[in-house]
Amino acid sequence: MSKLAYEKPVISKITAGVPNKFGLPVKQKIISEIDGIPVSELIKDYGSPVFVISEKTVRGTFAEARQAFETRYPKVQFAWSYKTNYLDAVCSIFHSEGSWAEVVSGFEFEKALLLGVNGSNIIFNGPEKSEEDLTLAINHDACIHIDHFDELYLLIETTRKLDKKARVAIRVNLDAGIYPIWDRFGFNYENGEAWNAINRIMLAENLDLIGLHTHIGTYIMASSAYAVAATKLSNLFMATYRKFDHWIKYIDLGGGFASKNTLKGAYMPGAETCPSFDEYAEAISNAIISSEIPHENLPVLFLETGRALIDDAGYLLTTVLANKRSNSGRRTMVIDAGVNLLFTSFWYNLGIYPAKEASDYSEETTIYGPLCMNIDVIREAINFPHVQTGDRLVIERVGAYNMTQWMQFITYRPNVVLIDSEGKTHVIRKKEDIETFKSFESNPKK
Amino acid sequence: MKITEEIKISDNGFVFNSKTGDSFNVNPFGLELLKYIAEDKDFDSIKDEILGKYDVDSLTLEKDFYEFCALLKHHQIVAQGDPMEFK
Repeated sequence: MSKLAYEKPVISKITAGVPNKFGLPVKQKIISEIDGIPVSELIKDYGSPVFVISEKTVRGTFAEARQAFETRYPKVQFAWSYKTNYLDAVCSIFHSEGSWAEVVSGFEFEKALLLGVNGSNIIFNGPEKSEEDLTLAINHDACIHIDHFDELYLLIETTRKLDKKARVAIRVNLDAGIYPIWDRFGFNYENGEAWNAINRIMLAENLDLIGLHTHIGTYIMASSAYAVAATKLSNLFMATYRKFDHWIKYIDLGGGFASKNTLKGAYMPGAETCPSFDEYAEAISNAIISSEIPHENLPVLFLETGRALIDDAGYLLTTVLANKRSNSGRRTMVIDAGVNLLFTSFWYNLGIYPAKEASDYSEETTIYGPLCMNIDVIREAINFPHVQTGDRLVIERVGAYNMTQWMQFITYRPNVVLIDSEGKTHVIRKKEDIETFKSFESNPKK
Repeated sequence: MKITEEIKISDNGFVFNSKTGDSFNVNPFGLELLKYIAEDKDFDSIKDEILGKYDVDSLTLEKDFYEFCALLKHHQIVAQGDPMEFK
């Protein structure tokens, strides 16, 4: 006689409170495979934890964004935000889709060049550009987005030394109704600082003003804010033409589009509330087209969206190390991926799902990472089914920022695997080992 | 380990503590364990019956059983037996 299926014994207190208007999910979502490859197989081949990136999803998301903008505006150019994920394989996918490179440091600039990006297709943003960086950018004819007056004067000096012209844009900070305003970057619109910078650039013999740039924030849930920003840049665009008879070539609305992750403290899931690419595109395109800019002189619209293009394509596969009870009886769980790998867990309630059918009973659980540090909490409270030690879990929407802001702390950083469009797997960043660190260090005491 | 007098357990897994007013849900396997505990069976005899009936290994059962007992104690469903029972 076959034995009955076993299920862990569970007792949970019934608490009276505000009922959840959404009720409980009928069935727990599971993620058993990524692009047709079983999670168990990926972990068997590449270890646990392991980051997995789906090329199919990257290209699909990019196509969606491009369609949203190109069907609403005649001249659109995407520039891949390197800091969001600068793994070579990821950048190459975006470049093959036609994206320029948007870099914020000499390091990222060098990376773009190594990937074969033409220097004139690199946008150089950020507040930190040394004379060496500026020289590199000028020599490669990059679009240098000036952040502040000191940088502007350093650039003027550098062009004189090199006796070369630089193609420049200014970064503008403005009140688009998003608070706090990101006024630490660029020149302010409302107090006239941006206009002063434009005037100074137009008087500099070696600077060619080709663009206006703003980046109003990150994870912007209101597409209307982009319309305000686009309108203000359009005003500067026309003011420059009227005073200097000079048509600027592009307006760059930066990034900041929300991904479908859910912010901590959000009442509704991000997938339900974040604007679609169509909503952002409609707001931006409509604002520029409705401005005073004549149709024949419409600037190219640059977009540097990062998070919304790559977040969905990234997964982190992880393994349950332990199930525990806190002294208050609360269920806790330890998994083998911590905040050292998941920087975004500090601001998102990341979606975590079992890789196979688990118990029908779920319980509010705190999920900890493996680090011997109190801050290593991946989810403070998640209604999670009972799983066993050794079971595999999948953390979704981790493609943005985690693979650039991760820390080598306590343990090694894991393999990153790409599943290409044909369903083949490739290690695109090798797991670190002790040799990695030996190569960085020298010990005078030995 | 004894289930306290104030605890009432229904056949469908509803547990009520008439002293504190707390109520609980227990899953079918947890309910089965509660019944064994109510019959004053010790872990070894519970283990024999469960291992013969369910598809589970001894270590998993032991781990889950003691975690369940800790929860029962936390929720004041069971009271500690004779503190000197080791004598």
